[in-house]
Amino acid sequence: MDPAPARYAIRVRGHLGATVLSAFPLMAADRQGADTVLTGLLDHSALYGALAQIEALGLNLVEVRQVPGGSGTLSP
Amino acid sequence: MAPAVPAGPQLIDRGALLAALDRAAARRVTVISAPAGSGKTSLLRAWVSRLGQPCRLVTLTVRRDQQDAQQFWLAVLHAVRQASDHPSTPEPPAPTPAFNGPAMVDRVRSELASDPGPRVLVIDDLHELTGPDALAQLTGLLTDLPEGVHAVLATRRDLPLRLHQVRLAGELAEIRAADLRFTRDETRALIDAAGIALSESGTALLHERTEGWAAGLRLAVIALTGHPDPERFVAEFSGSNRTVAEYLIAEMLDRQPAGVQQLLLRTSILDRVNGELADLLTGHAGAERTLLDLEDANAFVVSLDPGRTWFRYHHLFAELLRLELRRTQPEELPGLHRTAARWLGEHGEAADAIRHTQAAGDWAEAARMLADEAFSLTNDGQIQTIAALLQAFPPGADHPELALVRGGVALLQGRLDEAAAHLAVASSYAATAPAGRQGRLRVAIAAVRLSLARRRGDLAEVSELASMLDSPLSGGSAGDISLDSDLRVVALMNLGIMEAWSLGHPDAERHLQQGAELARQIGRTYLEVACLAQAGFASKVRPFAVTRRRCQEAIELADRYGWGADPIVAPALITLAGSLAWTGEFGESERWLRRAATALQSDAGPGITLLLHHARATLLAGRERHREAIEELSAAEDLRSQLTGSHALASQVTGWRLAMLARAGRAGEARASLAAIGDDRAASGEVASARAAICLAEGNPAAALEAAQAVLDGTAPVIGYVTVVEAELRAGLAHRALGDQQAAGQAAERALALAEADRLVLPFVMTGSEPLLAALPRHETAHAALLAGLLDVLHGAAGAPANPPPVPPAEQLSPSEFRVLGYLPTNLSRPEIARELSVSVNTVNTHMRNIYAKPQAQNRTAAVRRARELRLLAANRNP
Repeated sequence: MDPAPARYAIRVRGHLGATVLSAFPLMAADRQGADTVLTGLLDHSALYGALAQIEALGLNLVEVRQVPGGSGTLSP
Repeated sequence: MAPAVPAGPQLIDRGALLAALDRAAARRVTVISAPAGSGKTSLLRAWVSRLGQPCRLVTLTVRRDQQDAQQFWLAVLHAVRQASDHPSTPEPPAPTPAFNGPAMVDRVRSELASDPGPRVLVIDDLHELTGPDALAQLTGLLTDLPEGVHAVLATRRDLPLRLHQVRLAGELAEIRAADLRFTRDETRALIDAAGIALSESGTALLHERTEGWAAGLRLAVIALTGHPDPERFVAEFSGSNRTVAEYLIAEMLDRQPAGVQQLLLRTSILDRVNGELADLLTGHAGAERTLLDLEDANAFVVSLDPGRTWFRYHHLFAELLRLELRRTQPEELPGLHRTAARWLGEHGEAADAIRHTQAAGDWAEAARMLADEAFSLTNDGQIQTIAALLQAFPPGADHPELALVRGGVALLQGRLDEAAAHLAVASSYAATAPAGRQGRLRVAIAAVRLSLARRRGDLAEVSELASMLDSPLSGGSAGDISLDSDLRVVALMNLGIMEAWSLGHPDAERHLQQGAELARQIGRTYLEVACLAQAGFASKVRPFAVTRRRCQEAIELADRYGWGADPIVAPALITLAGSLAWTGEFGESERWLRRAATALQSDAGPGITLLLHHARATLLAGRERHREAIEELSAAEDLRSQLTGSHALASQVTGWRLAMLARAGRAGEARASLAAIGDDRAASGEVASARAAICLAEGNPAAALEAAQAVLDGTAPVIGYVTVVEAELRAGLAHRALGDQQAAGQAAERALALAEADRLVLPFVMTGSEPLLAALPRHETAHAALLAGLLDVLHGAAGAPANPPPVPPAEQLSPSEFRVLGYLPTNLSRPEIARELSVSVNTVNTHMRNIYAKPQAQNRTAAVRRARELRLLAANRNP
């Protein structure tokens, strides 16, 4: 079964530029040190879509985490 | 043979890595699993180009987002054949609507096994294969590779290939991202090979920044080539926190002339590009030259064919280009997709054209295109592709055109009620569609309804729809006309099938043959095979020689295209098997039945399965295995009750089951069952004949005679003359029981006369007519040869081996030698045979000498035995 959408934080190595960020329109980006943390309210297919994008772009995935705050409905 | 990707420039010799792959390839299966840009394809290219001559190479790259197992396996089979010196068949493998996965894997395995010597099967981009069936089938192949075949697979991520058996056997080798990383020395070599002047410390910095990641290093090399200050470039790159690929691609693009930048960005929307298409998208001529130059200059553009006309970009590179295009020129995107869609549509790439129309956001147009193309995509076996295209439409948005497509998919997947519901939606939409669109939609809907009605066995509906499709669309374009032909073939085929199956209709054969002919004209070989195989079944009313020839032609054509194990061939396989059982060739019959069962394992409707049970019962009855025959017939009757309409063989199935019960000593059961039969079937000749059998078993020959009489005087309708033969024999047995030897002999003689042309054996076995025939004075019958053959089978039927060893074909006897051979099992002397044949004794002597010489037989008895082994006596060989 598909759990309710939740807020996820995805940490990748390096600073993402405008081009790569445009691949994650549903997520907010935040630079933390040498990494970028993408945060967004995602259901499971959106989450796996984001991970597939990270794979396709050859990004270096550091961490995926569910974070508190915001559950229930999807925001665009 | 050319590798899937031709060797490109700037490939340094990564000796250690190649040696690792060499070692890995000593195992049966090697999996290279590493993320995008790790250099998997480059490694494969380099490794493949070093392979020595004696090793045969089969390479393929999985197409982007390959969901269709069949498309994948056809590509594999094609690659196998291209790599072979002696391809099994000159025909290219072609898709079919009913894909038999396990049979296809067997075919690939056997074709791989047919070439001697070491072979390597290289499959790149395996992660693009998304269908679960295809992966399971590939696992099957990898776990059981033919001797001498090695498989090397490259994928971005670990796939659910269940290779533990291979792993346990120590036959699995893996190469992973860490193995692919460039070492410091390799980085140095790469920089040197590109002629870039970079210090030792600069090289070290670059290696550290890219972590030896192949794509990063290659991008850096392109950006550094001709750079005025390589040291500064590396220092800035190293000081930046941006991701490696994005940083370097931006740098690299910046260094390209504006025209090249536009070319790369605008063509990034395509999976593969050629010069013409690129010219259209950029609005400038000369793109092909640029693409060739780019391939020569770097590793991010690769040609896909030996003639270098089609190209693709490295996936990672294409992904970033697409994002850049979408970010910087979003207003251009719909137009670019529309241009691509138009070109692809005009060049027969319907599915890609629809994909780009969807990407342009033209959903209504995409729905219309899909509705138009669904039929021919279906005929090409691209069911999964249709399903994926349907899935891509935004949920909630209502496109009434899609109801038709959904109906077709549901029908193919056997969900008949759902298909009917979609069709109802499609029909009500068609009534309100624009005038120019209505006609076409109606025809397309009728085609799907036709298949639905046929599956449900609704003859009235099928006839009505077929006559509607029979009249061509008015004023159609070329596309309409070709759709017309496709639809007409399908209409003729469905109509013919219904006619043949439900009524044994005389038009069935004609419609099926017209369908086959039209299919041949328009190059739809699959439909041609389907029509021919059904025509084989429909020609059951013909002399057996004709029926068999038709079935064999259909099977041969199917074999040539690799469809020999497809459900479409089943009617021909079963009909052939059945006709062989009728003439007593039980071993052959069994062989074809086994093949039919294999063909039906993936898809079998009640109609065709009924036919299979019927043919099995025929064979079992011939072998006097009554109990099993009754089981098969009961199964056939159960299936018949699932069909809406009548079935051509229904009365025979019922009649045989009753007669078989009576002969198996279960007359009471047969009598009770007979009483429960509806009036329709009870009035048939087949059931009348069965009633005679029951009366005989009950010891009431007078009643048996009366029952048989209904068939013999023509009051009870029969499905074929075979029923009359049965009835004559039962009447003969009844006369015999009543003590009227003369009438018994006359009935037997009439049965022999009827059976002579086709050399029927089965009715004599089924009715238990041995005593009747044995009492027939040899010199009084005009059918001595047939009679002798029959008695031979009647003595040996039950004891015949289940699987006679295959025998080599006999040297061909001349027609007159063959006629003489037919008399050998009789007790006629040579002069008597000469009189029978109206030739001289000398001629008979000459023929006999030749006969003895040919089948390696020294005397009459040995010749007869040998000839029987060769099935010469049973076959009907009219000169």
